Amino acid sequence: MMSLFDLLTTLNACHGPSGDEQEMREKITQLASSYADEMSSDPMGNLIVHRKGIGPKLMFSAHMDSIGLIVTHFEARGYLRFGKLGGVSPQEVLYHRVRFKNGTRGVILKDEKAEFAKLKMDDLLLDIGADSEENAKAMVCLGDTAIYDGTPHMLGAEYVVSPYLDNHISCAVLLEALERVKRPANDLYFVFSTQEEVGLRGAKTASYAIAPDYGIAVDVTSTDDVPGSDHSGTTRLGKGAAVKIMDSTVICHPQMIARIERTAKEHSISTQREVMRGGGTDAGTIHLTRGGVLTGGISIPCRYIHTPAEMASLTDARFCVSLITALCERSMEEG
Amino acid sequence: MMDLLKTLCMLNGVSGDEGKVRDYLFSQFGSHADTCRTDALGNLIMTKKGAKLAPNHLMLCAHMDEVGLIVTHITEDGYLKFQFVGGVDRRVAIGKQVRLGTEQIPGVIGLKAYHLVSKEEEKKIPKTESFYIDIGAKSRQDAEDLVPLGGYGSFVCEAELFGQGLFKAKAIDDRFGCAVMARLLMEDLPMDVTFAFTAQEEVGTRGAFAAAFSVTPEIALVLETTTAADIPSVEGSRRVCALKKGPVISYMDGAAIYDRALFETLRTLAQEHGIPWQTKEYVAGGNDASAIQRTKAGVRVAAVSAPIRYLHAPASVGSPEDFQHSLTLVRLLIHYLAAQLP
Amino acid sequence: MDYPSVLSKLCTASGPSGFEQAVAGTAATLLSPYVDEITTSRLGSVIGIRKCGKPGAKTLLLDAHLDEIGFLMTGAEEGFLRFTSLGGVDSRMLPNAELLVLSDPPITGVVSCLPPHIQRQGDFDKAIPIKELYLDVGLTQEEAERRVPIGTPAAYPGGCILLGSDRLSGKALDDRSCFAVLLHTAQLLKQKELDVDLIVLGSTREEVNSAGAITAAWDLIPDFCVVVDVTHGDTPDSPAEKVFPLGKGPVVGVGPNCAQWMSQRLFEKANAIHIPVQTEVMAGNSGTNAWALQISREGIATANLSLPLRYMHSPIETICLGDLEQTAQLLAAFCENLGKEAPAL
Repeated sequence: MMSLFDLLTTLNACHGPSGDEQEMREKITQLASSYADEMSSDPMGNLIVHRKGIGPKLMFSAHMDSIGLIVTHFEARGYLRFGKLGGVSPQEVLYHRVRFKNGTRGVILKDEKAEFAKLKMDDLLLDIGADSEENAKAMVCLGDTAIYDGTPHMLGAEYVVSPYLDNHISCAVLLEALERVKRPANDLYFVFSTQEEVGLRGAKTASYAIAPDYGIAVDVTSTDDVPGSDHSGTTRLGKGAAVKIMDSTVICHPQMIARIERTAKEHSISTQREVMRGGGTDAGTIHLTRGGVLTGGISIPCRYIHTPAEMASLTDARFCVSLITALCERSMEEG
Repeated sequence: MMDLLKTLCMLNGVSGDEGKVRDYLFSQFGSHADTCRTDALGNLIMTKKGAKLAPNHLMLCAHMDEVGLIVTHITEDGYLKFQFVGGVDRRVAIGKQVRLGTEQIPGVIGLKAYHLVSKEEEKKIPKTESFYIDIGAKSRQDAEDLVPLGGYGSFVCEAELFGQGLFKAKAIDDRFGCAVMARLLMEDLPMDVTFAFTAQEEVGTRGAFAAAFSVTPEIALVLETTTAADIPSVEGSRRVCALKKGPVISYMDGAAIYDRALFETLRTLAQEHGIPWQTKEYVAGGNDASAIQRTKAGVRVAAVSAPIRYLHAPASVGSPEDFQHSLTLVRLLIHYLAAQLP
Repeated sequence: MDYPSVLSKLCTASGPSGFEQAVAGTAATLLSPYVDEITTSRLGSVIGIRKCGKPGAKTLLLDAHLDEIGFLMTGAEEGFLRFTSLGGVDSRMLPNAELLVLSDPPITGVVSCLPPHIQRQGDFDKAIPIKELYLDVGLTQEEAERRVPIGTPAAYPGGCILLGSDRLSGKALDDRSCFAVLLHTAQLLKQKELDVDLIVLGSTREEVNSAGAITAAWDLIPDFCVVVDVTHGDTPDSPAEKVFPLGKGPVVGVGPNCAQWMSQRLFEKANAIHIPVQTEVMAGNSGTNAWALQISREGIATANLSLPLRYMHSPIETICLGDLEQTAQLLAAFCENLGKEAPAL
C-alpha cells in the first residue's frame, strides 16, 4: 500500500460527493482488492470488504463520500445555481474553486446584493466561465455534482492540509489497516460507506446487511486547539488516535471505549478522548441496527472541518492505523 | 470549629427570623460569657471579662442572619409567591428545595417545563414575581394550613466537605463569623471583649446600628465572608480574592474604608506569624462595619473575612484552612490590642 | 406497591442516557418477582417476559424508560470541569446546582455561578448557556484530570422528598415513576390469568434517541405496545391547554401515534373501574418511545398512557402518588383479556 500522503493524493483526485461516489468506490476497490477475501457493493453504493476470521463480526465504517454541490438551475449568462450535498456553509465556500467529474472547473460567487454576514445558499452562484446559458449547458448538466478543487500539501513533516480529510484520511487509514492485518481474530468487515454527509444513509443499510456484533466508525473529529475555541471538541492535533465518547448522534458504549483504550495501552498507542458536540458519524446509525450493536469510534482529529482547507496530523492517523490493526487481531469477546 | 460551623450552617435563620440561631448560640455558649442580653432588633450581645480591664475597647461582630425568602401571597391553587430576603441572584433559586415556616415544610421552586418555553422565552429568566413555591398543596386553604403569609423560607444544602478538603454549605455567610466568635468565647482572653451576634445584616446591616449604639466600642472587628470569584471565565482583579490564600484583610469595600492603622496591624501580624493572608483586589460589597463606623462619634473598624465562592446562593464553598487561619489571626489581634493597653 | 420506597430505590440509582447500568440493575431486581424471565438487551435495556402459555398468543409490550437526563464531562480548567448535556437538560436549573459526578468513587460538585459585582444590569435576566458553565469539584487541575477523565457522566443527586400529603418530588421521576407503575401493573396481574404474552421493558437512551426501545423491540417483535411516560403537569405559569393537573388521574393519548382502538380501550376500562382519566391530543410526534416503536419492522399498534409531572427535566420533578396508583390500575385492566378483546387486523 502506498504511504498515507500518497493515498490522500490518490483519493483526492477522485470524484465522490454524496450520492455520486462511483469513481471513489472504483478506486478504493482497486486499492483494497489484494487484501480482501470478498468484496461487494449494495444498492446504496457502499463498498463492503470482507476479511474472514473466526470470531464475532466486527465492522469498521469509514464514509467515502464528501460534501459538495449539485447543479439545480442554469441562469442567464451561463451562471449556475446549486444545492448543497451535506454540510456546506455559504461563508466557508465563497470564492473557492470547484471541479466537476468531467474536468469542468468553476468559482463560487455571491449575488452582488447579498450581505456577507447573512449569506445563504440561495445567494450563491457558480461561474464556470461559460458566458451564456447555451455554453453552460454544453459544459455541465442539471444534477451534475462538484467538489472543492485543491490538492493535499504537507505542512512540515507532520501536518497535512487538504480538502476532504473528512473523510479521505479515514479511508486511507482503513486501507492501511487492511494491509497490516495478518491474523484476524474477528470476522472483519471494512465498509467504505456512502451518503454519510446527508444523514448516515449508506451505513444504515450496510450495517443491516452485515448485522455486526461490534461496530466502529472511523471519521474525523473536531479539535479544541485553535484560538478562541469554544470547546465544542476536545482533541488536539498530534496527541494521538481519538477514542470517541460521544457525538451528536451516538453515545458510545463504555465497554467499547474500555476495550479500545485497553488495546491501545497494550500496544503503547497514544490516544485521547473525544466528544464532538457539533457533528455526527456512521456510529449514529450503526448502533441502532436490528437488536442493537455495541458501537465505538476511532477518529482523526481535524481542524476546519468542512472547509476547503482541513488540517490533520499524520502522526494521529498512524496511531489510528495501529489501533485498528490491533483491534482486528484480538477477539472482541476476549476479556 | 468545623463541626460547630456545620451545625450553625444547618440552622435556619433568615433576616428577621434569627431565633433558632440565637437560641443555639445562647444555650451553647452563654455560660462562657459574663453578661448576655438581646435587644429589640434581635441582636445577641455578650461580654466576657479578660485579664485586663477594657470595657468597650473591642467589639467583635458577626451576623446571625442568612439570605432566604419570605412568602408574600398564596394563590388559589395553593402555590406560594415570595420575595427574596437579602440580595439573591434569582437564577440560583430555580429548581431548588426550600424549607418554610416554623414547621420547616418542604417546598420546591419550579418553573414551567422548558419544553413549553419558546425560543425567545428560553433566553430570559422570568422575574421574581413570576416565581412560585410548590409545597404539594391542592388549594389555598391547604397551603395556609401549612405555611402562613409571611412565613420565612431557607435554602437547603447539606453541609459537608468535598473535593480536596473544601467545604460546602448554605449560610457560611455569616455562620463562619459566628463560629469564630463562639470559639473565642470559650477561651481565656487577655482583655475584656464584647461579642455582638447581629441580626438583619443582609437587609441593610440593621442590627449593627442598634448594637453599635448601645455598646459604643472604641474598636470593632467585623468577622465576615467575602466573595471569591476564582473561577474560570473571570479575569484578574475581578476574581477579588481566592480560596486557600488565607483570610481576607480589607482596606476598603463598597460601604466603608477601614481604619488604616488596624488594616496595617492585621497585615503585619499575619506576616510576622506566617499566616497566609490576602486582600480584596476589587472594591465591592459591604457589611456591618459601615453601620458601626459612623455611629455616634465614630468607631475604628476593621474586617477579617473568609473568602467564599457562591455567596448568597444555596451552596456556598469555602476552605477550612482559611477558616482556621482567620481564627488564629483574630486571636493574635486581640492579644496585640491587649498588649497596647496599660 | 409502596411507591415512595420503590421510587426511593429507583431514583437514588444513577442512570443518565447511555450510562444506565446502575439503575438497570435495580430495575431488574425489582421486576423479577413478577415475570418468568429477565434479560438485558444489547443496548442495556431491561426486559421482563411473562408468557401466558396459550398457543398463538399475541405479545404486549409495556415500556417505560430508565434513563434520566444528565451530563457528560468534557474537560477541566483550573480544576473546574466543563460539561455538556446528555438529553434535554434545562440549563435554567443549573446555576449553583449540586451534581454528582459518576467517577469511581463518585464526587460531589457545585455548578459555579458568577457574583453580582462582575455582572451588568441585564445579566440577571439572562439564562446562562451550558457552554459557559463550570462544575466546582474542589480539586486541583491535576486531580481533576486524574479523577474525572473526559467522558465521565454526571447526574443530579438522587432521592425524593414528600410535598404535602401525596406529592413526591425528585430527579428522574421522568420516567422512573412510570417504571414503578409498570412494576405495580405486573404485580396486580401476577395472580391473574393472561391471554397475551406480557413483556415489561425498562428501556435505555430514550432521552437522546430512543435507541434502547428501538433495538429491544426489534428482537421482541410485539404486536401491541403501551408506552408509559410522563406528560406536563400543571403549574401557574404554563398555558392551561398544554398541561394536566396532578391528582386528576392518568392521561390517555389520542392521535396518529395512538391506535384508535387502544385509546378507546383505555377510556372504556377507566370507565369500567371508575378511574378518572384525562385526554392528551397529539397531532403528530408524541415525543415518547411510541413514535419510533410504531414503525418498528412491520409496525406495532402503539398507545401512550401518561402521568402528569411538573418541572420536567429538573431535579425537582413532581408527581402525585394517587396518579401512580390509578395509572397502574388502568393498565392492569387494559392487559386483562386483551387477547380475546383486541380487534382482528
